[in-house]
Order: sequence, then structure tokens, then C-alpha cells
Amino acid sequence: MHIEKHLDVINACRFCFMCRHLDPVGNVTFMEADTPRGRALIIDRIHMDHECLKNQDFISTMYRSALSAANRYHCVSHYDETALVLAVRRDIVEAGLVPEKVKALAEELEKVSFTVNGKGDILYYGENPELYSNCMTISGRDPGKALEVLGFEKESKKIFGKFKSAVTDSKCKTLIVEEPSAYDFLKDKFNNVKVIHCSEYLLSGKVNTGSARKAYYLDSDFLKNYDGNISAPLELLKKCGYEIVPFGTNSEESYSIGEGAIIYDDLNPDLCEKLCRRVYGLADNLVKDLFITASRYVKNTLKKYNSQIKIISIEEAVAQKKENK
Amino acid sequence: MITTKNYMYEMVRSELTWVVGEDYVQTTDSDKLGHSIDYYWVPELWHDRGEKLTPPDFVVHPANAKEVSEILKIANNHNIPIIPWGGGSGSQGGALPVYGGIVLDMKRMNKVLNIDPVSMTATVEVGINTQHLEWEIEKAGYSTMHFPASIACATLGGFIAHRGTGVLSTKYGKIEDMIMSLEVVTPTGEIINTLPVPRHASGPDLTQLFLGSEGTLGVVTKAVMKIHPIPESRKFHAFLFKTMHEAMSAGAKIMTSRLRPCVIRLYDEPETAKLIKRVLGIDKKGAYLVFGFDGFEKIVDLEMEQACAICREREQEDLGTEMGQTWWDNRYKFFYPPYMFHMPQAFGTLDTVATFANIEKVYWAMKNTVKDNFPQAVFIGHFSHWYEWGCMLYARFIIDEPPKDPHEAVALYNKIWDMAIRAAIKEGGVINEHHGVGLKLGRIMKDLYGPAFKVLQDIKKVLDPNNIMNPGKMGFQGKGA
Repeated sequence: MHIEKHLDVINACRFCFMCRHLDPVGNVTFMEADTPRGRALIIDRIHMDHECLKNQDFISTMYRSALSAANRYHCVSHYDETALVLAVRRDIVEAGLVPEKVKALAEELEKVSFTVNGKGDILYYGENPELYSNCMTISGRDPGKALEVLGFEKESKKIFGKFKSAVTDSKCKTLIVEEPSAYDFLKDKFNNVKVIHCSEYLLSGKVNTGSARKAYYLDSDFLKNYDGNISAPLELLKKCGYEIVPFGTNSEESYSIGEGAIIYDDLNPDLCEKLCRRVYGLADNLVKDLFITASRYVKNTLKKYNSQIKIISIEEAVAQKKENK
Repeated sequence: MITTKNYMYEMVRSELTWVVGEDYVQTTDSDKLGHSIDYYWVPELWHDRGEKLTPPDFVVHPANAKEVSEILKIANNHNIPIIPWGGGSGSQGGALPVYGGIVLDMKRMNKVLNIDPVSMTATVEVGINTQHLEWEIEKAGYSTMHFPASIACATLGGFIAHRGTGVLSTKYGKIEDMIMSLEVVTPTGEIINTLPVPRHASGPDLTQLFLGSEGTLGVVTKAVMKIHPIPESRKFHAFLFKTMHEAMSAGAKIMTSRLRPCVIRLYDEPETAKLIKRVLGIDKKGAYLVFGFDGFEKIVDLEMEQACAICREREQEDLGTEMGQTWWDNRYKFFYPPYMFHMPQAFGTLDTVATFANIEKVYWAMKNTVKDNFPQAVFIGHFSHWYEWGCMLYARFIIDEPPKDPHEAVALYNKIWDMAIRAAIKEGGVINEHHGVGLKLGRIMKDLYGPAFKVLQDIKKVLDPNNIMNPGKMGFQGKGA
């Protein structure tokens, strides 16, 4: 079983409560099962008795995880509980026990193709190509990350193969990625192509500052907790003249409403709405304030459950400054 | 325990669902497993060895005192145990559903309802995680000054239930000093409030009656607690003494001279060699003493100077401020894996409190008991939570390879507790200072209290005639398996 590779995590997390306050799902369902300890206990039980993998409650709990890495980031020893959950999801898939809903989502995610347009040696993968006039663009949906987090490793590799071919054929030297989940997935996968987050590229160029504007930054779970807390997004926003105000009560919690699970809103819409409501509840003034996020998923999902929220992506924040100029 | 195959199970579930809604009555295997194990070593061992745990029948998440009241009335009607649950991180088995029943998970009641900047108090629903509480209070410009190692794990209600404490207890007090008043749902479902101030002469203090009652006398739903300004300065200093005795005399002198540190902690020689080295990287032989002061900087500096002078009157190595600050910065690290003791080790915290006149006698009595009777066990200890009259001994025993058979392992574990704690009581020690009694130490309550235990038993009988509230805990009657 894949979980066998994570016995250190099982042993560390199964009786440990030290990061429970950071589990976004546990904080809205209040269930012990929805904490790293709760999940590690279940996986430990599965490890002891493989028949338990068939338990529908256990399977459902594993697909309820938002895969936030805030817990791992917080842990002084950085035990990787998200990797443990991903491992058990792979075990569930390989045992043919995957729930119908997950299966249907996976089938949908497999229907993807990638097309490259333009010429040059920089390739942009995102939804705001107007900011990258000298770059080629690659269109297409998720490059395989979503399938990977659902536990479909083989299918994920197949989709990534398609993406890789398109990138390689373009002969680009740099790949700029907008969505943090895709950036996390792609950043170490190419030998001859440098993969950077869009904020890094935009920061290296000329940006317009315009008048100062206060904004709350909703950090990306990927950029902060998975990818070493890269500084470019905040530096870019500051360079653009945004006065960034910390959101919520602390800098540890993830307010990215299931970003780590990529398609969390498709998988668990009711829970996702609860995560969104928690974020709305922490806002000082949801209607008047401006929120900026690195993740398109976070932006779209927060807007979905409350259309009054003024939330824009980093790229839109940069574009707005250009327009204001 | 109600069998799930019995139609009564569905009858009770329907009643509970009517009160709190479908989303908040959990009967899944996932959640029952999480609620079958707290931070007590025995259920952890049971799970580790693949033994069957006792799960609750239902996990219910009430939204307010009224819902709690309705649930208690249902439980009384059907004579079903109610086990209040906060973060589940108690080390005494106090929240374990040992007879099945309804686990009342309080985490949904997690709001800070009001902050009163004039009186410096906050009104809080007690299901709130204490780290969340601290963050929210800090955002308003204050602090609870409640910084326990379990700050991120536990709820305010958990601390109230077990008379918990935080690192800064010497200055800011334990939870019972921090609480002004409580809202409580009594076992029969009445919602009551204790008097709104903690100092009065209107009879015995009901607030203090419910504090530490571990869910046996009712369900605490709301608390008014003190909050504090963020101090201008907080400084630390550390010394290394050749012997624990010398260090103890310095610590006691700091307290009896009525200086007011926010924290003092003294590690005996074995714990200094084992944990201070491993966690803080301070590789020294002797007894490590650290203390801190906070408040206005001028006063902090003055008090620090006096405390350091007391230490320097004795033979010591001055480790300076940096090695004191290192301790503060890493104060929670001790409790994270892999630094915390863990399976397959058997380990227990022999939490005891005594006066300065008795505390060293208590230490030696327990240490010698463990050493003489259980050669396979290592005994280490530190003294935390210091008061004007005495301090707490956080002694621990660790067995690297306990018996494979879980029954034998638990029997050995209990025997160490029985002998060590009774040796401590004989020397004037009290179990315990902040972990509570729970399931673990219930059997020792009669020895500790003597005839006075009947007073507690009578109170329990009057308040909880059907014995639905957390039966079998704190030495009170069980429910019958």
C-alpha cells in the first residue's frame, strides 16, 4: 500500500493534537475526523487492518480533506500529513473503491487537450494573456494536478504527458504559470524549461504604481505552505502601490477554501460553502474592502457563494493599476 | 451503550437531530474513532495494539446553551451518559466515552461574544479553541495571557473542566484565576449563571464549584474571563545550578521575596540532560532554571536584577538572557513529535503540587518509589507553575519497552501511578495541579480527600440524580458496563 511509505507520519500524527487548530475543514465541521490526528488515526487503522480501506465513512473522510499544508508548515518537524492522505487516496483508487462522484470528476478531468499559440521563448499558462504580450500562450485546463490529488496517479501522468509535449514542442525556455496549484505541480517537472510563478515574472518587469490602495491579501496555500512561502506575490503588490493588510486574526491559518484539493468545490460543495462562510465572517467589511488572491480558484469560489465580495487575482490587480494609470 | 441495530438507537437519534439538526449528529465510524481516544496513554495503547475501543453512540455538536439543555433532558429521559468533549487533548481520559452514550462536542460554540475594554473582560463561548481565542483577543489589542502547551489543541471549556493552566501562571494565574463567571447547564437541563464577579461574600462560590468538575456536574457553555494589556516588555534569564536543591532554593526565594515573575521553570538534572539538550540544544550538566518578567520595561529590569541577584548568591553558571529566551521561543516544541514521548514507550506525567516545605520531599518520594520498584522506568521532572507558597512538580516516568500484552502494560502503568502518587500524597503532595483527575486518577480521589470526598459525592448526587454526566470520572460512580 502507498500508505506504507508514510509510517513516520502515521506514528507522529495519530496521537498529536498540535496543529488541529489549523485544519480548515475541522474548523467548520468540528469533527475530530477532520483533523490531521483524526485522519492519521483512521489511516493507522487501515494500516493495521487492510479491510478497513473499504469502510465508506473512512473513504468519505479522506475525500473531505482540503489538503491544506498549513498544518505541515506549522509542525516543528513538518510531518507531511497531506502526503499521507494523498497516499491513501491512491490506495483507494487502486483498490477500485473510489466513490462514484470522484470517479465521474476524474473522467471529466481526463477530457483535456493543450494548444500553444504565438512565437517566442516564453510561454504563458494562465487566463490573462493580455499582460504577456510578447509571450506564447498555452491553453487547456488542469495539467494533471487535480487527477493526482484525487488519487488517479496513472491518469494524472497521462495528462501531464500531453501538457509536456505541448510545452516541449513550443521550444520555450521559460514557462510562466498563473494558477498556484499548477505552478506547484509543474515547477520541478521540466529539465530544460524554467518554471516560474506569474508574480515572479511580473515583478521582474516594469509595473505601474498609481495611487495607494488598501487591500487584504488572501495567501495561496500552495505558494505559502507547499512552495516555501515565495515572496514575489506580496512584493509585486507592494510595488504596484497596494497597501497590504493582513487578513483574519493570524498568519498561520489557510483561508484558501480548499485550494489544496484543487477541485474541492466540485467535490464537496456544501463543505466548501462553509469554508467560504468562515472567510466572509473573518472579513472586517466584506462589501467595501478589496481582497486580492493569487489563486483563480479562491477568487471564483469566494465569489460564487457571495457575489458582493470584491476579490481580484494578482494579475487583475496589476492590470487595474495599468488601467488607472 | 445502545446497539445500533436496536430501534431505540433511531428513536434517540431522531430526538437529537430535532434539537441540533442532521449535520450535527454524527454516527460515522470516522468520527466515533476520533472520539474514542484522547491524549491519555491507555486508549492510545489500546489503539496501537489493535484492541477494540469504546466509541460513543452519538457525537452531537450543540450551537447554544438551549440546545445543550434539550440534549441533557433527552439523556435524562433515556438514562444515557453525556460526555462533554472540547479539543479531546486531555491526558487523564476525562473525555472518554467509557460507557458509550452521547459525546457532546462543544467546538461549535466558538464565538467571542463581547470584549469589555473598561473592565478588561471577554465573554466567550467555551467551545472555542484557545489559540483561536488568543488570536481574536490579540487582534482587539489584548491578550488572555493563557499560553499552555496545548493552546492549539484544547478548548477553553477543556481548561475550565480540568482547571488547566498556562506557562505564565505565576503572574496571571491558572484558569480558575482567569475566569470571572460562568454560564452552566445543569445535568437536569436548567441554564444558570454564576455571580458576575469572582470576589464576593454571598455564600460559597458556585463558579469555583464548576471549575474543575470535569463535566460531572453540568456543562459549562459560556465564560467571562479576564483579559490583559500586551506588556511593553517580556524578558528571560537562565541559570545552571549544580544541584536541583540549590536551584529550588533560588526559585523559592524569588517567590517568597514576593518578586512577581510571569514564569519560573526548573528542570532536574536528568531532564536537563535529556530534554533541554535535545529540544533546546543546551548541552550542560546540572539543573536548568529559567524565569521571566513582563510588564513595563523599567519594572521588568528592576525585578529581573533582583531575581538574578538571588541566583548569584548561590553556586551557579549564568547562562544569560539568550538561553532564557531560547526556552521561551521553543516552549511548545517539547510537545511536538518526535520530541514528545510516544508509542511504543509508556509514559505518564505524575503532576503533583505542594508547598515549598514539601515539594522536594514529594520529588524524592516519587523518584525513589519509581527507582526502587520499577527499574525499567526512567524518572525525570521539572518544576513549573510557581506560586507564593509552593510549586508544581511535572514529574514523568518513561518506559521504553513496556510489556507487549496491553493488559499487562496497563497493569504496570497503573501500578506505577498508584505507588508514586500515594508516596507523593504521604509527603503532602496533591494530585494534581492542572491536568485533572479524569479516568486515570479517579481511584485515588478517596485517598486524597479522605472523608471530605463524600461532600463531593453528595453534591454530584443532588445535581445529577440519574448520573448521566460523565459517569465513572473523578472517582464518581460509573454507569455499569
